[in-house]
Amino acid sequence: MGIRNKLLDFKRRLSDRKMYSVVIVALAVVAGWGIYQYKTAADLRQELDNQYNRAFYDMLGYVDNVQMLLAKSLISASNTKTASIMQEAWRQANLAQTNLGQLPINPPTLEKTSKYLTQVGDFAYSLNNQNMKGKELSDKQYETLEKLYGYAVSLRDSLEQLQSDLGTGRLKWGELRKKGTSIFQRTSTKITGEQFENIDKTFQEYPTLIYDGPFSDHITNTKPKALTGDTVSVDQARERVIKFFGKDKVQNVTNTSKNDSEPFKTYSYTVTFKDRPEEETAVIDITQKGGHPYYMLYNRAVEKEVLNIDQAKAAGKKFLEEQGFKNMTDTYYLKEDNTATINYAYTQDGIVIYPDLIKVKVALDNGEILGFEAKGYLSSHTDRNIPEPSISEEEARSKISSKIKVYSSGLAIIPTEYKTELFTYEFKGKLNDKDFIVYINANTGEEEDILMIINTPNGVLTM
Amino acid sequence: MLSVFTAFSIKLLIRRGGDSIFKKLKITGVLLILVCLISTVFSHNRPEITVLMKELKPGDQGKEVAQMQQRLKNWGYYRDDVNGIYDSSTFEAVKEYQRKNNMPVTGTAGFDTLLAMGMTSITVSNAVHAQGKGISDEQLLARAINGEARGEPYEGQVAVGAVILNRTRDSRFPKTIAGVIYQPGAFTAVSDGQINVPIDPESTVVKAARDALNGWDPTNGCLYYWNPATATSKWIWGRKIIKTIGKHHFGI
Repeated sequence: MGIRNKLLDFKRRLSDRKMYSVVIVALAVVAGWGIYQYKTAADLRQELDNQYNRAFYDMLGYVDNVQMLLAKSLISASNTKTASIMQEAWRQANLAQTNLGQLPINPPTLEKTSKYLTQVGDFAYSLNNQNMKGKELSDKQYETLEKLYGYAVSLRDSLEQLQSDLGTGRLKWGELRKKGTSIFQRTSTKITGEQFENIDKTFQEYPTLIYDGPFSDHITNTKPKALTGDTVSVDQARERVIKFFGKDKVQNVTNTSKNDSEPFKTYSYTVTFKDRPEEETAVIDITQKGGHPYYMLYNRAVEKEVLNIDQAKAAGKKFLEEQGFKNMTDTYYLKEDNTATINYAYTQDGIVIYPDLIKVKVALDNGEILGFEAKGYLSSHTDRNIPEPSISEEEARSKISSKIKVYSSGLAIIPTEYKTELFTYEFKGKLNDKDFIVYINANTGEEEDILMIINTPNGVLTM
Repeated sequence: MLSVFTAFSIKLLIRRGGDSIFKKLKITGVLLILVCLISTVFSHNRPEITVLMKELKPGDQGKEVAQMQQRLKNWGYYRDDVNGIYDSSTFEAVKEYQRKNNMPVTGTAGFDTLLAMGMTSITVSNAVHAQGKGISDEQLLARAINGEARGEPYEGQVAVGAVILNRTRDSRFPKTIAGVIYQPGAFTAVSDGQINVPIDPESTVVKAARDALNGWDPTNGCLYYWNPATATSKWIWGRKIIKTIGKHHFGI
């Protein structure tokens, strides 16, 4: 039977009255379902748009406040008042940045705006700390504040322009969100995307900010201190790789790439091992300068736990000594998946130097080293000239709360979030069955940090 | 597509059509089939519904029983060893739990009891589902890695986790892991819902998430990655490539 006949046959049968009703019912069901789905989708779209609007208007409000607070800080004469203004500016800038991250705009479009908000908050926070200690703003800081205020004004103006576009419906979040292929969607995305790009262009000439905060520009560009020695070749670095794992274990070492990004330029290798399956490989990076091991990760499943944590610590320390890292003391560990990740810090004359950190991952079945990470050590290790502390241990101890029962103490160098170092007395003590570590500045007697220790079955956590 | 289905089914029906009662029955059948078809077509994009655990009763054995015993033991209802057997002491413990929580005291852990114990998200299949509440950073990171780099070499999985963590420390991105992962448009696995795919217990993504959280960073500080075969946005090619791991380029 040909198609034509089939169709005719079909048409004839359709003319049957009962069949009409079937078709109608079926169509009604389909239509009903479609309408329901469409409505649900529309509701969800609306809900999403509302969220985006909420984030946008919240951000607008916070930017408004930042601008106002920066203006106030320029005319405030008292330290305490400036401190409280700065604290509020820090909070508002952070909230603005959080809401900015919620907008449906590709991350790179607004990255300078985001950086600006982060740095305003960070800068305000560091000024707040400075003011609380009673130090006034320097002329340079005042100048920076003025510049930041100028940017806040222009950011607010551009956002206001966008707000009116949103209000009149010329800009819709849905258009930004969609990544369809139709020409219309593409052009509209371009238009709205461009509006945001224009905002970001405001920050093209944005100055380099230097202050005491984690996002300060000089912090992000620090040079590693421990990259000593001459530049090595790919083959010299390969020798280092073999030495790292031991000649008797290594089957094959393949150079996979040369990485030229600052501050750690490295060679990468993939290593396979004798008597191990092919897919169990290790990856390792050796620094181009000096040929230091920088990072290693060996993906081997560890099925059982034979070694206890003390044996694991000893295995890690032995490994570090063989690799030429002397005077390393374990400070913290974490047990997971039958492995222990142990932190080792350098000690000089009995002083624990926490910034010089190496992490070692030890397999608890046979003590093999499964991971190594020396970024902290390579960034900060150097022969330090540590002066005598200006205050005695007794003086320092008198600074901490008398409620804490101290059970051990010593000198330590601790890192700050902005990559500087503090020379401190370290007191470990107990209060209400909770363990604490208190750091007192060995020169000024100021309380620098308090950590609470939480003992878990997996390790010792500090908070 | 739907209309094709409709026409096809009706045609079949007509051809075979016998007397009218049969016809009616068949019409109902076809309609039911239609509704099923339609609903499968429409529900395709919905998240998978977790298969809820069946009830546990005396005599049952297995991992689920052991999990329940462990919970009851943690809360002080159960005192014996966690052995995975629903024995009389387990029965008593369940009864005590139900009594304390104002539930019908049956000694059998039905759906409501299991729900109260927070055990309903364990599925019959052995996929691991993240508990709805209190998803830790580790879980969230593992699921993001799962969605973004499932088939990648282990190092590439750690690298994806490291990029997410590097972003939290960069001034140009949100400050929290959740903020970075759920930033609109940032990760395709979030946009298309793949982040909600249950983690395969055989997969290494949880281990990779842990290594990333412990500070291993194969990318050496990268903030972006992309698959050169599928990357659509033009700006990404302007980024400097630092390293290539598996299918992904990593860059700043």
